[in-house]
Amino acid sequence: MGTLVGILPGLGPAATISLLLPMIFHTSAVSSIIMLAGICYGAQYGGSTTSILLNIPGEASSVITCLDGHQMAKQGRAGPALGMAAFGSFIAGTLGIVGLMLFAPTLAKFALRFGPPEFFSLALMSLTLVTYVSKGSLIQSLVMACVGLVMSTVGMDPITSRARFTFGLTSLLDGFELVYVAMGFFGLSEVLSNLGHAFKQEILDSKIRNLLPTRQDWKDSAKPIARGTVLGFLLGILPGFGQAITTFVSYAVEKRFSKHPEQFGTGRIEGVAGPEAANNAASSGTFIPLLSLGIPVNPSTAILIGALLILGLQPGPLLISSRPDLFWGVVASMYIGNVMLVMLNLPLIGLWVQMLKVPYSLLYVLIVLLCQIGAYSVNNNVTDVLLINIFGLAGYLMKRYEFEGAPLILGLVLGPMLESSLRRALMMSDGSPMIFIARPLSAAFLIVAVFFLISPLFTRGRIGKAAIESKDD
Amino acid sequence: MWFFHVKPLDIMRELKSGLFFFSLSLLVLWESLRVELGTLMEPGSGFLPFCVGLVLFALSLVLIHRGWGIREFQKPHSRRVILALASLFVYSLLLEPLGFVVATFFLVGVLFHLGQPRRWWLLIGMSAVVTFLAYLVFGVLLHVYFPRGFLGI
Repeated sequence: MGTLVGILPGLGPAATISLLLPMIFHTSAVSSIIMLAGICYGAQYGGSTTSILLNIPGEASSVITCLDGHQMAKQGRAGPALGMAAFGSFIAGTLGIVGLMLFAPTLAKFALRFGPPEFFSLALMSLTLVTYVSKGSLIQSLVMACVGLVMSTVGMDPITSRARFTFGLTSLLDGFELVYVAMGFFGLSEVLSNLGHAFKQEILDSKIRNLLPTRQDWKDSAKPIARGTVLGFLLGILPGFGQAITTFVSYAVEKRFSKHPEQFGTGRIEGVAGPEAANNAASSGTFIPLLSLGIPVNPSTAILIGALLILGLQPGPLLISSRPDLFWGVVASMYIGNVMLVMLNLPLIGLWVQMLKVPYSLLYVLIVLLCQIGAYSVNNNVTDVLLINIFGLAGYLMKRYEFEGAPLILGLVLGPMLESSLRRALMMSDGSPMIFIARPLSAAFLIVAVFFLISPLFTRGRIGKAAIESKDD
Repeated sequence: MWFFHVKPLDIMRELKSGLFFFSLSLLVLWESLRVELGTLMEPGSGFLPFCVGLVLFALSLVLIHRGWGIREFQKPHSRRVILALASLFVYSLLLEPLGFVVATFFLVGVLFHLGQPRRWWLLIGMSAVVTFLAYLVFGVLLHVYFPRGFLGI
C-alpha cells in the first residue's frame, strides 16, 4: 500500500493514513500502528519510480529525484537509477531503524525528567518549526497553527470539565475527532483539489532492463548514500523538516561535494542515491520523537499520534516502557518492511507502472467513497459523513487560499499537551511565567522557537519555503 | 518586510481570508472570556484559547493589511469541484432516508460523470458494480451496518 501511495501522484501518505484510520477499530493496536507506519516509509520507495520513469514525482520527497533520475532514464539507464534508488533507500532505511532502535528508548528515558514547562516549550518549539518549514507565507502557517490549537480546545476542558466552543451542541462536547479532521482535510480535500485540474496521464511503455547498478555506480553512490543517511536521519528527527526538505538539502550537499557539480541535472547517479537515501532515513527518524516524546513532526506522524490515542495508548516518554510490544513490534516490522519493499519493488516495477494507467477519474471516485464509508463506519452515524464533508470543504478552501494543512493538524494534536503543560507549569510556579526560562531545557526549546519565528525578518526567506517552491516551478 | 512579500494573485484572497480569521479571532476571544480566563496562578478554561485568540487577531490584521487596496482576479472555482461537493452534501443528507445502496449508487454515478462524461449505460453499470463491491466488502465482510432507507435495502 505504501509503495502504491508513493507511486500515485495526488495521494500522499498523510491522506492514505487518514483514509485507513477507521480500519484500526477492527485490528489490534500493534497491527494498526505497523500498518500505518508501513505507509509512511513505503511511500518513500514508491515515489522514486514515477520520478525516474515519468518525471512525475509521486511524493514531494521524490521531486528532486526527477532531476537526475529522469535524465538517466532518458539516457537508457532507468534500470540502474531505479535499482540505486531502491538499494540506497534500503540501506538508509535499515540504518535509520538501527538509529531509531538505539536513540528512541534513550530519548524516552531522558524525557522522563521533563516537567510541564519542558513539555510546553517542546510543543511550542515543534509547532514553530513546523510553521517555519511550511510552504507559503509564515503568517498563513501561523494562522493555521492557531486554528489547530483553537480546534483542540473545543469540547470539555479536561481540568475543569467546562464546555468550551460547543455553542450548545452536545455533539461537540467530545471535541473534534482527529479521524474526521484528517480524513476531511487531507483525504477528501486532496482529491477535490485534484479534481479541479485536468487529468493528464502519460505513461512510458518502454521495458526496463539491468536493474542492478554497475560497480562504478556503486562507487559513485556509496558516499552520497552514507551522507544522505546521516543527514536524513538527523533532519527527520526535527519537527517540520520531514522527508521532502531533507532531499533538497541532500541534493545540495551532494552537488557541493561533487567534483562535477555542473553535471548535476544531466543524469548523475549521486543525485538519485543521496536524496533517496535521505528521505528513507528521515522516514525512520520521524519515529523517534513520535515514539519517545509523543511529538509529531509532520502530518503523517500527527495522524499516527491520533491513531495511538484512538487505540487508548498515551503517546509520550512512557509509551516505550509501558508498551514495549508496540515499540519493538514497529521496529521489527520496519526491518521486515524494508526487506520486503526491495524484494517487491524492483521485480514488480512493471506492475507499479501499470497501476498508473488506472484513470484518475476512476480512482478519485473510489477514494471519495472510501472517505464516506470510513467516516460512517467509525460510529455507524450519518452525521459523521456530514462532518467529514464539512472538513473536506474547509480543507479544499484552505488549499485554494494557500493555507497549509500541516500546522493545523499539528496544532490540533499538540494542543492538549500544550494547554495542560502550560496550566500545570503556571500552577507549579504560582503564576510566574519565568518558570519557562528558569529551567535550562525549557529555555533552550524556547530560544529555538523564538529564533525560527524571527529569523525570516533577517534572512528574508525560509528553508522550507525556498525548497518546496522550487518544486512547484 | 518579509511578511509583505506575496505573489500579486494571492492578494485578494488574503483580504478575504484575513477578514474571515479576524471574525474567527473575535469569536474565540468572546468565547474564551465567557468560559472564564482564570488567573496566572490558576489559569481557567479560557486561558489558552484567549492567548491563541489574541495571536490570531494580530495575524488576521496583518493579513488584512497585506491584502488591502489591491484588487486582482482569481481563478473561479472549478465547476466539477462545486458539483462534487454539492453531491457529497446531498449524499450525507440522503444516506439515511434513501439507504446506503440507493444513495451510493447515485453518488458514484454523479462522481463518475464529473470525472469523465461517459455513456449513460456505462455510468449505470460502473455505479452498480462499485456500489455492489462496496456493500460486499464493508457491509458483508466487515459487518458495517449501513442504513437501509425506505426501500429496506
